[in-house]
Amino acid sequence: MTTTIGLEIHVQLATRTKMFCGCSTAFGDEPNTHVCPVCLGLPGALPALNAEAVRLATRLATALGCTVHEVSEFSRKNYFYPDLPKSYQITQFDRPIATGGSVPIVTGRGARSIQLTRAHIEEDAGKSMHAADITLGGETLIDFNRCGMPLIEIVTEPDMQSGEEAYEFLRNLRRLVRWLGVSSGDMEKGAMRCDVNVSVSPDPAKRGTKVEIKNLNSFRSVKRAIDYEEQRQAQCLADCTPITTETRHFDEVQGTTSGMRSKEASNDYRYFPEPDLPLLLLDAEELKSVRAHMPELPWEMQARFERDLGLSSYDAALLTEERSTAEFFQQTIALYDNPKKVAGYMGTEVSRLLNERGKELVETRLTPKALADLLKMVEDNTISNTASKDVLPLLVDTGTTPLEAVRNLGLEQVSDASALEGFAREVIAENVAQVEQFRSGKEAVLGFLVGQLMKKSKGKANPKLAGETLRNALKS
Amino acid sequence: MPSELPRTLNQYRLAVRAHELSAEEYLEETCRLIERDDPQVRAFLHLRLDAARSDVRAVDPMSPLAGAPIAIKDNIMMAGERCTCGSRILEHYVAPYSATVVHALIAGGAVVVGKTNLDEFAMGSSTENSAFFPTHNPMDLTRVPGGSSGGSNAAVAAGFALGAIGSDTGGSVRQPAAFCGVVGFKPTYGLVSRYGLVAFGSSLDCIGPIGRSVRDTAIMMNAMAVHDPKDATNVRRPCVDFEAALQSTLAGKRIGIIRELEGLEVQPEIAASMEMTRKAAVNCGASVVDVSVPHILSALPAYYIIAPAECSANLGRFDGVRYGLHEDGRDMTETYSRTRNAGFGTEVKRRILIGAFVLSAGYYDAYYKKATDVRQIITDELDAALQSADVLLTPTTPTTAFRIGAVTDPLEMYKADVFTIPADLAGIPAVSFPAGKDTAGLPIGLQLMGARWSDAELLSSANVLFTALGGES
Amino acid sequence: MATIIDKKTLEHVATLARLEITLEEEGPLLGDLERILEHVAQLSSVDTSAVISKRPFMTLLRPDEPSEGLTRAEGLGGAPAMRDGFVVVKNIMGGEDA
Repeated sequence: MTTTIGLEIHVQLATRTKMFCGCSTAFGDEPNTHVCPVCLGLPGALPALNAEAVRLATRLATALGCTVHEVSEFSRKNYFYPDLPKSYQITQFDRPIATGGSVPIVTGRGARSIQLTRAHIEEDAGKSMHAADITLGGETLIDFNRCGMPLIEIVTEPDMQSGEEAYEFLRNLRRLVRWLGVSSGDMEKGAMRCDVNVSVSPDPAKRGTKVEIKNLNSFRSVKRAIDYEEQRQAQCLADCTPITTETRHFDEVQGTTSGMRSKEASNDYRYFPEPDLPLLLLDAEELKSVRAHMPELPWEMQARFERDLGLSSYDAALLTEERSTAEFFQQTIALYDNPKKVAGYMGTEVSRLLNERGKELVETRLTPKALADLLKMVEDNTISNTASKDVLPLLVDTGTTPLEAVRNLGLEQVSDASALEGFAREVIAENVAQVEQFRSGKEAVLGFLVGQLMKKSKGKANPKLAGETLRNALKS
Repeated sequence: MPSELPRTLNQYRLAVRAHELSAEEYLEETCRLIERDDPQVRAFLHLRLDAARSDVRAVDPMSPLAGAPIAIKDNIMMAGERCTCGSRILEHYVAPYSATVVHALIAGGAVVVGKTNLDEFAMGSSTENSAFFPTHNPMDLTRVPGGSSGGSNAAVAAGFALGAIGSDTGGSVRQPAAFCGVVGFKPTYGLVSRYGLVAFGSSLDCIGPIGRSVRDTAIMMNAMAVHDPKDATNVRRPCVDFEAALQSTLAGKRIGIIRELEGLEVQPEIAASMEMTRKAAVNCGASVVDVSVPHILSALPAYYIIAPAECSANLGRFDGVRYGLHEDGRDMTETYSRTRNAGFGTEVKRRILIGAFVLSAGYYDAYYKKATDVRQIITDELDAALQSADVLLTPTTPTTAFRIGAVTDPLEMYKADVFTIPADLAGIPAVSFPAGKDTAGLPIGLQLMGARWSDAELLSSANVLFTALGGES
Repeated sequence: MATIIDKKTLEHVATLARLEITLEEEGPLLGDLERILEHVAQLSSVDTSAVISKRPFMTLLRPDEPSEGLTRAEGLGGAPAMRDGFVVVKNIMGGEDA
């Protein structure tokens, strides 16, 4: 049984204003307060294309490896729906801004490159909120704040074969758009939306009937919907029930898909070139510059971290999830050249603290220099690793230097030999039984004795030296 | 106040600046005329005379328009005023913003007296398609003023305004200018902002000035031709003083006569006027050349595919959800259909249906794509012809103004646009100017077309002919 | 002779355009449309095989700067139904894109 999956993803571009007018793109304000003649489709209004939207789209298309077309054209897609004020959407049909491209993914099945068909820019429609049961003639409330928001639509080839692959694709695409500053990629805020096409066929050479699934609110929903649909279609094939080409709605709660009520025969959108917008011509020099200045992509950096820095795939993935994290890491290892240690520390202690605080790394006062200095202090035994965990919160919250923090907390490690010898004598005197055990050959007991010494030193003793001191003391 | 009132915008402005006349006085006289005669002419859909009286007090006589009363076609938005487009679907709609051109004219000292009648959504050639009432030709009240900018042209002809603006998609500024005996100018597409003009055929629509003389339209163009970043099809051009560019000779100019139009049947007086004007052109220093535009007769069918196609999309926004007429149905589809059925007249429906048809799957290539390609051919041919000639001379219309109710066949009405449509398809400037009268005393209009962006030169040539034929500036 | 536009096509196109054609309107409308479409169909005799479309390029793109829009009252003051700042629409069934 072969499953074939294609995705259509709409990504909101992170501009200040809408695609064709100067209305704000800010999320969450009062309904119908970011409106003007253009995005309301008032009589006489005309579209004026946002330069930044074009720039962001070009950056993303370039990063995706698309062929970016210097000349592209806008089109009108005509249909009637209350959240579409002009009763046409300005999009790109015949001549999109980009074609081709790909996104790499890694799943249980291995590493693959998912091919893209095209990417084009268009305007969003308004937001419709349906009353609980629209089939009973309920109401729909419309907010036009979203109407006219700039989108880039990315269409994949029917190249994916499982819900997991689709999930990984979306994760990587989201990672990329955030990496490039093109979009927040927040599916919860509607900055990224996804429609899925799934078909199942017993014969790998023949594609099955294509079914579209809409109303997917998270990557997880996408995976769940595909998994369900895979099963459903396989069952249909087994039962010899015909599978209809249709659009199905995903139910979040049940985890199932269902046919949408009598969708009219596929709409004739009567596409034609948008007369209100001349052809879009991209500057060839600028395109070259975009290509030349493309930063290392997240998956490229991830691979490099594993390959050249020897990081684990877990650590490499974590560090390249956000560009700010990756840059922090790189700046830290520039000051303290131990990638594994830095990665390990960031992946454990720093991560944990960020979770506790509910903050992103950039929102804290921690700097690469502070982290580098802290790890250096641990390495040269100025403080113990344990003690460093007490220092870190101060660096994160207040931005003090590790040196100041260590002094304020009085955490300098005790490495003074005579002090350690003193502690060692006390420990030996107080733990006769364990001393006997050690002397009779039980090496493991040394750990307990070191622990006692650490307690006496209030954790400040250098554990390695403590162990050596005790060993010497026990010999005599 | 002088015993003889100025008849043109130019004369008015001279009088005001010479303190022979005040803007208030002239406006008052205009209001009197409107109140007396518009009940017969019916040029206006809405008047704003009290507001105008208030506006005129703030006007600077040194401004380009010096407080002149101006009329605006009711498909151009003016904030706070109704904008009906001659349609029931917008019968009570009040514009929340003003068109760029309206801002520009008011900034230039224009005082708007009212919004003028038009064929519904600018679709028609007689103003009989207005959902409200037809406008009557001031030259003969039993006849049409032409369309779709019938109200604006009638207002100027009747003295209700010293200038007006209309929209021209297939001839809608020029044809009624010919019927009413005034000057109507369609600028190069992209020269005047369309922001605030309710769209009919987006790639064809032009806002153009209407005046008693060519000079008057040049004065208006100086105020109107501003660059507008809100209109992506508006092209930033070097600043031109259209009035200063008016010359008094046609020396060195070549007047082109289009061979393929010669065989078309026109009213004999119009043919005679063409002949007389050719001679006048030669007397003014021009030479007359024969040019060929082989596919010019395909302009009409190409237009009647492209314009409806664009209008079918442009009029989709009238669905009763956010503004305008709203009629309820059992579901959304029915609500839309009921609203639009109640709101749109027959001609509008016809064009929307043709438009939807020619764009629909299976017909797009044979109709819309074909028409677009033919349009390119005609454009290229006109551009070539305008290399061998500086301007092209044609009649504006095949006949003078017909009687109200006389033309009921839509196709026959369309065919009357045969001379005006090519300039809209090619996006080139064209002007209709009065050139005599027929035996019934009805105005005859002739048309000059020029190369793209040669608006100032075109108006200059037209002015020479206009003056030579007895026109007053 | 086969017509260009028949009743079924007219109904289909009317649905696409959300227009209602009454029974009385249908006959005359079909007649008018047929004649108009016949007239414009003469374009098929024009050879367009060598045509190169010459659309102009956009010269100025809009900077990403906020500009003053309309208040809700200005923009939607004429809407037939509003509630809590939303435009209200009744009885939508099925739907276009989510």
